[in-house]
Amino acid sequence: MPPTSLTADAPWVVLKFGGTSVSTAARWGTIRDLAEARRAEGARVLVVVSALSGMTDRLKAASGESGRTRRLAHWEEVRQRHQQLAGDLGLPADAAWLRPLQSLRELLAIESLPADVLAWQARVMAHGELLSSALGAQFLQAAWLDARTVLCAPSQPHQNQRNQRLSALLDTQPDADAAAEMARLGEVLVTQGFIARDAAGDTVLLGRGGSDTSAAHFGALLRASRVEIWTDVAGMFSANPRQVPEARLLRRLDYEEAQEIATTGAKVLHARCLAPLRTPRVPLWIKDTERPLLAGTEIGAETVEASPSVKALSMRKGITLVSMESIGMWQQVGFLADVFAHFKRHGLSVDLIGSAETNVTVSLDTTENLLDSDALAALAADLARVCRVKVIAPCAAITLVGRGMRGMLHRLQPLLAELGGERVHLISQSSNNLNLTFVVDESAADALLPRMHGLLLASGALRADDAALFGSSWRALYAATAVAAAPPWWRARRAELLRAAAAGTPRYVYALPRVREHARALRALRAVDRWHYALKANAHPALLRALAAEGFGMECVSPGELAAAQDAAPRAPRLFTPNFAPRGDYAQGLAAGALVTLDALHPLQHWPELFRGREIGLRVDLGQGVGHHEKVRTGGAASKFGLPLPELEAALELARALDARVVLLHAHLGSGVLDAGHWARVHAQLASLGERIGTLRALDVGGGLGLPQREGEAALDLAVLDAALLEVRRAYPQFELWMEPGRYLVADAGVLLTQVTQVKHKDGRHYLGVDAGMHTLLRPALYGARHGIVNLTRLDAPADTLYQVVGPICESGDVLAGDHRMPAAQEGDVVLIEHAGAYGYSMASHYNLRGLPAQEIIEE
Amino acid sequence: MNLSAPSDPRRARAFRFTGCDYDAGEARLRYAFDDGAELVERIVFPDAPPLGGARAQAFARALRLLHWIAGVSYYKAGAVGQLVIENAAPDHGALALLQSVYGEGLAEFAYRNGLRLQQHWSVPPAETSAAAPALGLPQHTLVPLGGGKDSLVVVEALRAAAVSCTVAWVGDSPLIAACAARTRMPTLQLRRTLAPELFDYNRTGAWNGHVPVTAINSAILACAAVLYGYDSIAFANERSASSATLEYEGRAVNHQWSKSWDFERRFAAVLHGTVAADLHYCSLLRPWSELAVTRAFARLPQYFEVFSSCNRNFRILGPHPADRWCGQCPKCHFVFLALAPFLPKPRLLKIFGRNLLDDETQAAGFDALIEYRDHKPFECVGEGAEARAAFAALAQRPEWGEDTLVARFRGEILPQLDRAALALEPWLHPADEHAVPARLAPALAFLRG
Repeated sequence: MPPTSLTADAPWVVLKFGGTSVSTAARWGTIRDLAEARRAEGARVLVVVSALSGMTDRLKAASGESGRTRRLAHWEEVRQRHQQLAGDLGLPADAAWLRPLQSLRELLAIESLPADVLAWQARVMAHGELLSSALGAQFLQAAWLDARTVLCAPSQPHQNQRNQRLSALLDTQPDADAAAEMARLGEVLVTQGFIARDAAGDTVLLGRGGSDTSAAHFGALLRASRVEIWTDVAGMFSANPRQVPEARLLRRLDYEEAQEIATTGAKVLHARCLAPLRTPRVPLWIKDTERPLLAGTEIGAETVEASPSVKALSMRKGITLVSMESIGMWQQVGFLADVFAHFKRHGLSVDLIGSAETNVTVSLDTTENLLDSDALAALAADLARVCRVKVIAPCAAITLVGRGMRGMLHRLQPLLAELGGERVHLISQSSNNLNLTFVVDESAADALLPRMHGLLLASGALRADDAALFGSSWRALYAATAVAAAPPWWRARRAELLRAAAAGTPRYVYALPRVREHARALRALRAVDRWHYALKANAHPALLRALAAEGFGMECVSPGELAAAQDAAPRAPRLFTPNFAPRGDYAQGLAAGALVTLDALHPLQHWPELFRGREIGLRVDLGQGVGHHEKVRTGGAASKFGLPLPELEAALELARALDARVVLLHAHLGSGVLDAGHWARVHAQLASLGERIGTLRALDVGGGLGLPQREGEAALDLAVLDAALLEVRRAYPQFELWMEPGRYLVADAGVLLTQVTQVKHKDGRHYLGVDAGMHTLLRPALYGARHGIVNLTRLDAPADTLYQVVGPICESGDVLAGDHRMPAAQEGDVVLIEHAGAYGYSMASHYNLRGLPAQEIIEE
Repeated sequence: MNLSAPSDPRRARAFRFTGCDYDAGEARLRYAFDDGAELVERIVFPDAPPLGGARAQAFARALRLLHWIAGVSYYKAGAVGQLVIENAAPDHGALALLQSVYGEGLAEFAYRNGLRLQQHWSVPPAETSAAAPALGLPQHTLVPLGGGKDSLVVVEALRAAAVSCTVAWVGDSPLIAACAARTRMPTLQLRRTLAPELFDYNRTGAWNGHVPVTAINSAILACAAVLYGYDSIAFANERSASSATLEYEGRAVNHQWSKSWDFERRFAAVLHGTVAADLHYCSLLRPWSELAVTRAFARLPQYFEVFSSCNRNFRILGPHPADRWCGQCPKCHFVFLALAPFLPKPRLLKIFGRNLLDDETQAAGFDALIEYRDHKPFECVGEGAEARAAFAALAQRPEWGEDTLVARFRGEILPQLDRAALALEPWLHPADEHAVPARLAPALAFLRG
C-alpha cells in the first residue's frame, strides 16, 4: 500500500476476517479496500485473519495421523490450496509466504510423535493462520506480525494441560509500549487470529471463536478506536434468524446486552470477545464482508437515548431440569450445600436456579457427560435419599434480553398470555436487570420462539420502529429471494383519494387492481388446485365479483355470507365452514349446494339425517395455533375451533354409519403467517392423517397468508411456498390441495380515509382526534393491531410529532395507534390508514350510534 | 361434486389375476374385477442386468409369486368371493401360501370392516414341475430397510459378522433414504406404483384397510435377489411379531402376520421349492424379543438422529424430532418405552424431543401397550408382557420414578401385577426358533449381552 504519513498518536483500527473471507482472491480485494479506507480515515490498521476455510480441520486431521506418509499427504493438500490462492492473488512463486509452508513440513515430517504431543499439535495447527497471514501481508504489501510476540496466555493452574494448550485464555491490558512497538513495524499490519504464546514462549491456541478473541485482545492492547469483525452476516439479530426469519438486525448494543445475547444462544460472536474490550471501552462492530455498505451491529459503552426495548430473544435447547422437593429442608443448615455437592461429584454443572419453600429446581446444560453416561441416574439415586427428585427434560431456556427489563414487564402481557398455554417450569430474572428467562418444554420451543418474537413486535416491547436500535429483518436482508414490499398503490392516487375524502369520512376505499394482482399471484401457484376466498374478511359485492372472475370459490361461515356469495358470485363453488352454528344453518348450507365442513361430533351425533349420503369435510385441530395475536389464533387447546385429533376416528365412524363420505380434511391454524414452511407442515400433517381416510379427495390447509406490516419486513415468498407445498404433494399425490385466504387478497387493497377532528396536548402527550374510531376499524382495539397511518394532506412533511391517534368513541380503548410519529396536523387534514381492506368494514359497528362508514371502489 | 365413479368393486363377483410381465427393469402386475378396467401395478428395478437361462426362468417364477401376493392390495377393495388366477398355476404349496396371505393376512382388515371373508380360489390345473434348481447365487445379502431400529440392528449385526450386504427398500421415503445413507452400505431402491384406479375405488367408498405389506415386500425382494444376484434376504422381524393382537370369528387376528414365524416358514419354503433352491429368506431377529433388539439398538448412537419407527410422520423429513416422531401413536409409545431402560434419560429424550412418560394425555396409549384395560394396538409393537417389564424397570429408577405415567404405573397398576413376571432380564435371552442360514448365523451373536 502506498505510504502516507500518520501522526504518532494516530488511532488503531483492528479488522478481523474469518475463513471464508480469506479463501478467495476476490475477498482479499475487499480486505484491501477496507484497509485502505480505514487508513484514509487517519487510522493505523491491524488486520487479523483466520486460516483458509477448512484448513484448521485439515491440520487437526494431519496432527491426528500416526504415520508420516499420511501426514505429508495432508501437507501436500495444504500446499496446493495455498499455492492456488497465491497464484490467484498474483504473488510470485518463490515468495516469503512460503516459509511457514516449509516449517509446517518439518513439523509433519518427523518419524515419531514427540513426548509433548499437545505442544506439537498446537504448533501444527497454528500454521493455518501463519500461512493465511503471510499470504495476506504479501498481497497487501503490509508488515507481517507474529501474534505470538504480542499476545500471551498466563498460566491457569486450574486448567488441564489440554485446555492450556488448545483452548488457552488471555488476559490483555492496554499496553502503550507494545502499541508503539507495533506502530514502528508499519501503518498496516497483518497478523494471525487464534494463536498466542504461553508463559514459556510456546505456541498455544485459543479454541472456538479464537480469531474473534484475538482481535478483541489486540483491540484492548492497542486501545483501538474500534474492532471490526467482518463475517458473513451483518451482525447480531433480535433472534436466531434460522428460527425467526423476521428477526431484526440489532444496530446498537451495550457490552452487557451483547454479552448476555452471546451467552444465551447467539452464535455470531463468541461471548469471550467482549470481556477484554469492556474496561478500555473499545467499541466492537460486526459487519458483512459481502455487503460492506450495510449497517451492522455496533457494540459499545454508550447506550443511545431511546425508548427501553427488549433487544433479543435467545434460546438454548437440550436443558435438563432437576426438581427437588422436600418439606422442612430449609431449616437444615447446609442442606443446599449438601445437595449441590452431589451435582459436583457427578460432574454436572448447574446453570439456572429457581426456588420455593419446599422446592428447588435447577437447570443443567447439555454435556456429553449428561447424555452418554450414567451421571444423571447416579445423581438422582443420591438425591432420592434426601428429597423427592424429578428429572424434567428436554427443556429449552428462552431468554429475553434488554437493559431495564423490569421496567418493561407491563408490555409483556401478550407474551405472558402466550406462555400461559405452555408448561413453564422455571422463570429466572437476575438482579442485573438485563434478562428474563423462561424454561419450557423443548418440543414447544421451536414454534413458540417466532410467536413470542411476533408478540414482542406487535406489543411494542421490541421497538422495531426505532431505527436507532433496529435494522431490517433477516428475511428482508438475506432470504434467497426476498421479495421487497412494493410501494403502496395509494401514493399514486393521492389526489383521487383526497377528492373521495371530501365526499365524507370515515370512508373505506378498495382498489380492485390490487386485489386482482394478489389473486393472480396465488393462482400461479402450481401446488394448489383450488382457491376459496374467505369472505368474512370483506364481503363487498365488487370484491366478490372480481375474485370469482379470477377463479376463486367462496368460503362462507354463515347463512348471510352464503347469501352474499349467491348474490354476487352465483356460479363460484362454495365451502360452508360454520362454528357452533345452529342446525338450521347446516341445512341452509347443504341446500345452497355448498360443501359443508364440520368441526365437532355434535352435528353427526344429533342431526344424522342432515348428512346421510352426503359429501362432507372435517376440520381438525392439529394442536397448535400460530398467528400474530392470541385472538387470531385458531388452533390449539385454547381455541374453540376444530375437531380434536383423538375424536377424528369417532367422526369417521359416525360418517361411515351414515354413508356420508369425508372428502375434505381441513385445518386452519391462524393468520398473518409470513413463514412459507408453515403451510407445508400443516399440509404434511393433514396428508398423513388423510391416508387413513379412503374417501378423501382434498386437503384444505386454510389461509393465514401474511402481509408485511412494518417497514423492514419482507413479503411472503410465494415461490418458496409453492416449492414447499409441491414437495408434500409429491409424497401424497392422491390428494388435491385447497387453500382459502381472505385477508391476504384484500387487506392492502383497502385504505380507510378519515379526517382530523381535534388536537389536544395533555400531560405531555399529543392526541390526534379523527372521525374514525373503534366503531370503524376495530382491529387496533381488539387485537392490538398496528396499522400504518399517514397524513395524506401533508404526505411529505417531516414526521415530527409523536401522536396518540384516537377516535370519537366513549371508550378509553378507542386508540387507533399509540406513540405514532406524524407531521403536526390540523383540523380537517385527511388521514389515511393502511391495510384496512380486511376485517375493517366487516367488523364495523353502530356503537355510540355513529353509523357505518362509507365504502368506495376503485375499478381500474 | 361426484367424480366419474368407477364401478363399485364391492358389487363384483370375481377378482381376476389377469397376468404379469417384465421388460427392461419394469414389472407390470395386472388384475381386474369381473370385466372391469384392468388394474396395473408397476414395479421398477433400477439398472437391472439382462437375464438368461435358469436365472431368467427363476425370475419369471418369482414374478408370478409376486403377482399373486401383490393382488391382495386390490382384492381387498371388493373383498369378493371368487379369486381367479388366469395366467399360470400355483402348485400346492404356493396356493396354500396365497390362501393364508388372503386369509390371515387380511384378518385385521376383515375384523375392522366387520366382514366375514369367504374365498373360493379358481386356478388352472397345476403343471407338474420339477423342484426349483440351485442358481449358484452369489454370497451377498439383501437387507430390507424400514427406517426403524430393527433393520438397522440387522445391518450392524451383519456388518459385525463381515457379511457382504446391500440395504434395500421399496418406495420413496426420505427417512429410509437417510437411514440407508447412514449405514454406508451399498443401496438398492425399488419403486412400486399402485394402479391409480385403486384411489378412485377408495374415494367411492370401496373396502379399505390393512394389507400384509411385508408379504408384498418379501416377494418384491425375492424378485430382486434373483435379478441382481443375492443368495439371502435378511428381514428384521422379532419373535413378538408372531403373537396375535386378538381373536375374531374364531381366528387369530395378528396385525403383524406377514412378519410372523408362520409366514416366514411358508414363504421360505415356497421360495426354496419353486424359485431357487439356494435363495434363503429369513428374519435375523426371529429368536429375539423387542427388548433385546432395543438394547442392541441403544448401542448404535450413529442412528439416533435419523431413525424413526413412527408410522404417522413418515413421508416428509424435517430437522426436528417431532418431524420423525408424532409422539401419539403406539409405535412412538412402544419404542420410547422399550429404549428407556437402556439409554441415559437425557439421550432418550433428545431422540424424541419430548418425554412421553411425563404426559398424562398419553396414558391410554401406554395402557394399551401393557394390555391394561385394553387390547394390544394394531401396530407392530412388542408383547404386553415385555412392555410391562420395561415399565417395571423404570418404576425403580429415581430419574424416571416421578414422571406422571411411571408414578401412575407404580401406584395404580403395579400392585395388580404378578411381580415375578416383571423381570426384564429373561427378555434378553434368545428363543431357539429361527431359520437363519449357516452363512449368516454368526451375526446372531450381535444381540447378546
